[in-house]
Amino acid sequence: MLIDDSRPIFVQIAERIENDIVDGTLAEESQVPSTNEFAAFYRINPATAAKGVGRLADEGLLYKKRGIGMFVAAGARAKLLERRREEFFRQYVQPLTREARKLGITSEQLMQMLGRSDSGTQLPEGSVAQ
Amino acid sequence: MTGTATSEVISVRNVSKKYKDSLALDSVDLTLEGGKIYGLLGRNGAGKTTLMSVLTAQNFQTSGEVRVFGQRPYENDGVLSRICFIRESQKYPDDFTAAQAFQAASMFFGGWDQPFADRLVEEFQLPAKRRIKKLSRGQLSAVGVIIGLASRAEITFFDEPYLGLDAVARQIFYDRLVQDFTEHPRTIVLSSHLIDEVANLLEHVILIDKGRVLVDEDAESIRGSAVTGVGPAALVDEFTAGRAVLHREAFASLASVTIEARLSEQERAEAGELGLELAPVTLQQLIVRKTMAATGAELAVVERENDPELEATK
Amino acid sequence: MNRVVNVARMQLINKWTYLGIPAIIMASAFLITYAIWAIVPSGGEIIYSGAAQSVMWYFLALGIMSMTLTFPFSQAMSVSRRTFYLGTVGLFAVVALAISVLYYILGLIEKATHGWGLNGQLYALGWLAGEPALVQIYFYFIAMVALFMIGFWFATVYKRWRATGMLVVWIAVAVVLLGLVALTTWQGWWPEVGAWFVAQTPLNVSAWASLFCAVLACGSYLTLRRATP
Repeated sequence: MLIDDSRPIFVQIAERIENDIVDGTLAEESQVPSTNEFAAFYRINPATAAKGVGRLADEGLLYKKRGIGMFVAAGARAKLLERRREEFFRQYVQPLTREARKLGITSEQLMQMLGRSDSGTQLPEGSVAQ
Repeated sequence: MTGTATSEVISVRNVSKKYKDSLALDSVDLTLEGGKIYGLLGRNGAGKTTLMSVLTAQNFQTSGEVRVFGQRPYENDGVLSRICFIRESQKYPDDFTAAQAFQAASMFFGGWDQPFADRLVEEFQLPAKRRIKKLSRGQLSAVGVIIGLASRAEITFFDEPYLGLDAVARQIFYDRLVQDFTEHPRTIVLSSHLIDEVANLLEHVILIDKGRVLVDEDAESIRGSAVTGVGPAALVDEFTAGRAVLHREAFASLASVTIEARLSEQERAEAGELGLELAPVTLQQLIVRKTMAATGAELAVVERENDPELEATK
Repeated sequence: MNRVVNVARMQLINKWTYLGIPAIIMASAFLITYAIWAIVPSGGEIIYSGAAQSVMWYFLALGIMSMTLTFPFSQAMSVSRRTFYLGTVGLFAVVALAISVLYYILGLIEKATHGWGLNGQLYALGWLAGEPALVQIYFYFIAMVALFMIGFWFATVYKRWRATGMLVVWIAVAVVLLGLVALTTWQGWWPEVGAWFVAQTPLNVSAWASLFCAVLACGSYLTLRRATP
């Protein structure tokens, strides 16, 4: 199912647009489908679609060109990646370190685990990606 | 007055409708704003049709006030000409064809769009020149649906319009409804007991049971307001302790408990650690559980009143 | 366009109900009567036929149908009860007037052709044809309206109070009529009653009928105001 019942629909719409921005499907300065198109495609109430789009506009990820439609703002991708990294920290890293502490794993042991070649946990070297 | 998004178009204050031995509407208080799609949900006989009849002055309340566009709708041509209510089993004049029904509709609905009606006739594959009394149940429903859509009335009521329509026709209806609503915003009140099908179309949900309003909320705020936890019974009960329980099912050592709660990320994580599975609750499940919970509460009261031992302790 | 006029137009969407069937009834009444006259010669005397009133009974049925078949639909068309009432009764009044004028004219033709060349009397009724034109036309008119209103009123009673209401009305009407008959018989008033009836002129009868129609019109409107489709 395209839309599920776990969270408000407008949140799911917003997330879909965010995902498209992050993975490059929606490039910066490109046009986002209109709320009517969202409503027709997902078979949802247009006000709901508008709410999802509106939320992203409020966060500065989208902007409106009068008479034309909504566009992806410059720097939106970078903003989203930053936000998702922050979420990653809260959602995964913090619980991970909590659990590690419980089990008595030290940070060196943790780094060793990350370097283990047998379980696909290796991360790319280098600084933060663009 | 045009239907701007935040103006109140329908106001219901303390409306009750009594029949000889039953209460079809019980102190109903509602406010409907213009430009939204409302879902009027509830079981058969809950009072949906009665409410809509009272709002359109086709039937009369026993007490309470109804205002449409700020005025009483009773015998008020100015207000009535801006609304449209086609019943689930609408009667048409004998020998009328569907085309003649549309012709009549064009005379009374100022915004009637004949080309739109013609397109709908084709989409629903309706034999417009056939006598209405010779139409199948589904085709009869299609006539009502087409009148409702093409009337473009500022407030349009659809009373279980899909009874008789097959799944394909229903989908056509939903699609055309959303499409036309975006192009011509107005107020739509959709009564249904096929909740899952219409759930995503609704902006606001009103649930009626036994004439009383159980839910009157924004659809989006309802979504995610309940969750079902499944797992070992003891753990589930520990996790859901202190919450409003809508439903509990047990199977062997497992239990599935639906609670009214919006879980935070942390609470979800806790559930995960306990080994519980969390499943979303569909709007239909939520409505069903709430309705049954309301009935259960009533039955509990009735049982208490009828229990001689309890009576004796009073 | 005015909503009341539109109600009339809506009633006319099906041309048969208000126009076609009355036309057929009247035409066949005339043709059948004429055929019978032609086959059975009169030998110079006037042959009477009451066939002209056959269409009137259809109007009774029409009164009922206007209410039962079209009222629920008019509610779906978001028409107020008052508008429906005015449009429907108004339409019928126009139709009745037209037919009344037609009957009057046919009566004139009948006289001019000496009973359609066969000494027949269908339209120029003996006790009516001598009256001024307006009296004749009004008489026909009020008779048709009375029958229509009886049907219409019964149907509104049904729509408001359903079967129970109908039963009550039927019984009440029967009781009143039988009561009057019983009273008249018991008091031996029949001779006076008979004389009074004979003494009534068409104008008198029209006046009584007008009163009757006025009562029915008010009654049916008031009943309609709380009727549900």
